[in-house]
Amino acid sequence: MSERALEGVKVLDLTNHIAGPYCTKLLADFGAEVVKIERPGGDPARRMAPFHHDEADPEKSLVFAYLNTNKQSVTLNLKSEKGVEVLKSLVEESDVLVENFAPRVMPSLGLDFETLQQINSRLVMTSISNFGQTGPYRDYRAADIVEYALGGLMYIFGAYDREPLKHAFNQAQFKAGTDAASATLMAMYHQRLTGEGQRVDVSIQEAVATGLRDVVNNFTYSGAVRRRQPNHSGDLSRIRASADGHLIPNPGLGAGFDWKTLVDFLDLPALDDEKFGTPSARLVNAEELGRILDEHFIKQNKYDMFYASHEKRFIFGVVQSPEEVMADPQFAARNYFVDIDHTVLGTLKYPGAPFEMSGTPWEARSPAPTLGQHNQEVIGQRLGHTPEQLAQLRATQII
Amino acid sequence: MSAPLESVRIIEMGQLIAIPFAMKMLADMGAQVIRLESTGRLESYRGDSVYKNDISGEFWNKGANFYEQNRNKLGITLDLSKPEGRSILKELIATADIFAENFTPRVIKNFGLEYEELRKIKPDIIMVSSTGYGFYGPWANYGATGPATEGAAGLAYQTGYLGGGSPVMADIPYTDYTSGEHTVFAVMAALMHRLRTGQGQFVDISQTQATSSTIPEVLMDYSANGCTGQRMGNQDTAMSPHGCYPCRGDDRWITIAVTTDKQWQSVCWVLGQEAWAADPRFEDSFARWKNRDELDALIGPVTSFWYAHELMHALQREGVAAGAVLDSKDLLFDPHLNERGFYEVVAHHESTGIPPLPYASRPWKLSKTPAVAGKAAPLMGEHNSLILSELLGKTTDEMAALEEGGIIGYGPTDPRPVQRPSLDEQVRQGRMQRYETDFEEQVRKGFLM
Repeated sequence: MSERALEGVKVLDLTNHIAGPYCTKLLADFGAEVVKIERPGGDPARRMAPFHHDEADPEKSLVFAYLNTNKQSVTLNLKSEKGVEVLKSLVEESDVLVENFAPRVMPSLGLDFETLQQINSRLVMTSISNFGQTGPYRDYRAADIVEYALGGLMYIFGAYDREPLKHAFNQAQFKAGTDAASATLMAMYHQRLTGEGQRVDVSIQEAVATGLRDVVNNFTYSGAVRRRQPNHSGDLSRIRASADGHLIPNPGLGAGFDWKTLVDFLDLPALDDEKFGTPSARLVNAEELGRILDEHFIKQNKYDMFYASHEKRFIFGVVQSPEEVMADPQFAARNYFVDIDHTVLGTLKYPGAPFEMSGTPWEARSPAPTLGQHNQEVIGQRLGHTPEQLAQLRATQII
Repeated sequence: MSAPLESVRIIEMGQLIAIPFAMKMLADMGAQVIRLESTGRLESYRGDSVYKNDISGEFWNKGANFYEQNRNKLGITLDLSKPEGRSILKELIATADIFAENFTPRVIKNFGLEYEELRKIKPDIIMVSSTGYGFYGPWANYGATGPATEGAAGLAYQTGYLGGGSPVMADIPYTDYTSGEHTVFAVMAALMHRLRTGQGQFVDISQTQATSSTIPEVLMDYSANGCTGQRMGNQDTAMSPHGCYPCRGDDRWITIAVTTDKQWQSVCWVLGQEAWAADPRFEDSFARWKNRDELDALIGPVTSFWYAHELMHALQREGVAAGAVLDSKDLLFDPHLNERGFYEVVAHHESTGIPPLPYASRPWKLSKTPAVAGKAAPLMGEHNSLILSELLGKTTDEMAALEEGGIIGYGPTDPRPVQRPSLDEQVRQGRMQRYETDFEEQVRKGFLM
């Protein structure tokens, strides 16, 4: 067993769906002990597609399986007094509580930070919500697309003359989950130094709005409002079609970049013209440049161009399909995809370490738990409830 | 109240976003970040998007993106191509907790800055490398931009409009932020470990890997089922309606996402479309999802009578997830973000001619250990004297010799500003939606300056 970065950090995980579970997954995958509290019906993410072999079953959601590695699952009905009591005894011995309910939910269960802090003054309580714990939109609802819109990323995303677009899937949730994991550890660092707990408020809208370039700045620096960029553009970082897919033929930024070297590499004498020779000229003649580049790259093979460009230290990129990602030689050399064996799903390849740590590596110690898999272990052994008490909790549907 | 990372010193050899963004987040929370730059190889953000597009004078101290990414840092210049420069860097690293960089392994090895070398100088150093594809492996030395890793990671492939066409990527270096967010977490995990054990380590961030870790929806589906999804535009795999619809005004839009029947009834009621509510094609969530193209075609013409914000509030009052698509000005003046104090006003050095301006802060608030008060990114070489004389004890003579030998400096050796086209030209090209000449006044009033 290797050393774990977050050895000894005890996390009580009340999260569901994506943002919260990704936060606690990061903590768990780097060694924290995470007890996931699920409502009796389970985390709604258990009902999220895609499923293994398309079989809709609470133990077969693939996203759930990914998001909940290395966690223990305990079911608990927090709408019952007894359930809240059990939760409070878990709070007593935890460092961190993470939740991503709507802001009104925890107080309505009698589990506001002030109350929990009286039980455990060292507690770090991290709340992730759509718009944060304060402010006029606090109770507004959202989905990932709404966060893209109100976070400022959507207006500049997509084609000039079409509706704004968002990334596929749930990127805003993942951003906020990562931010929440970072902020939780900042508070934990302070806790380990001083013994003091605190409240951490993470907003998904702000997670999106923090990660923008040349948006608000364009207005404060020049009064300009940036729009989605026009299709025909000489912007060298744009995606272009190849014969077999797409590539990003960006030669590379920086003061030392030499246009002539690119012209020679592409063997495109038409570009050997002062209309394109400097960054300023390329901005002015963007449309013509864009057309020439499009006509060239549509005839090329994307990986040929990718590898050839890097031989010359250009920095072209390649658009990979899921199949190509999973066959990518770089990922293979870094053992990024790992086999995880799950009682119901069997052995599957999962995306592994988001980054590598030499001393305390990412680990898949255990697969996502089945619903309530650790009731006995956590409530029985850790909290010292007798088998009779456990049976009682089960009979009254508290667990 | 003190910031949580006040005892942490970071030496940053960063460029553009991936590492500078992450280190800014740590600087905000109290870490002392000493940022290294080269006078010979001007960081492009220093001279791009400059204040009022005015490249006269010290343009390298006027770039918007440089200020955005380097708040709360100290800045020094060092020429690492010279042995004296590398030796000063190593002196600095010997005093530090963290060394963070985002250059290719080739550059780091040329400078003798691998982890194995650094731990000889500082045994418990945490070294953080952020690269496009990772520090080792066949693509390790491949330089990358945000779009390249967005493509390699599998995110771009799935993103785009319905009905074919090309994948679409964010018009920002999106994965720089994704990996930057993971970098902050990685540094905190390494610091937690060091606090417990006294040990440093090497953190190897692959920007592609961090990004692939945020798309299990497709990678797990492919892994388990061999499925590759279609590009779905703004549609969702379960919700409908789920999309971006036109509103009144020029290039104005709203997003709406409906889960339950009750929410759907509310949408019909707010939009005054009782007939939709009774239409069997839309009677339950499965029917709405199956008929989502028809539904989307019906909704757009109706929302276009509404102002986006009015419709957002009307729908939210009924419990429907809806959000106006905010442009840069809307985002800056958004009442909710401003009520939460999301923007922080930062004063700039007098010599730049830039007034105090608001900048986006952070997505978290820590109740007991808030962020430090925002201080502008350093002028080029602003803290040479503070760091080299006060921290490393260089004498006045030594400082003069360093400047004489070009090891340190206060401006680029080869200043080549990039002149952007005029705003009129940028609007004509479609890069900008519009510009407002009274923006200074608006910003000043909006932030009570």
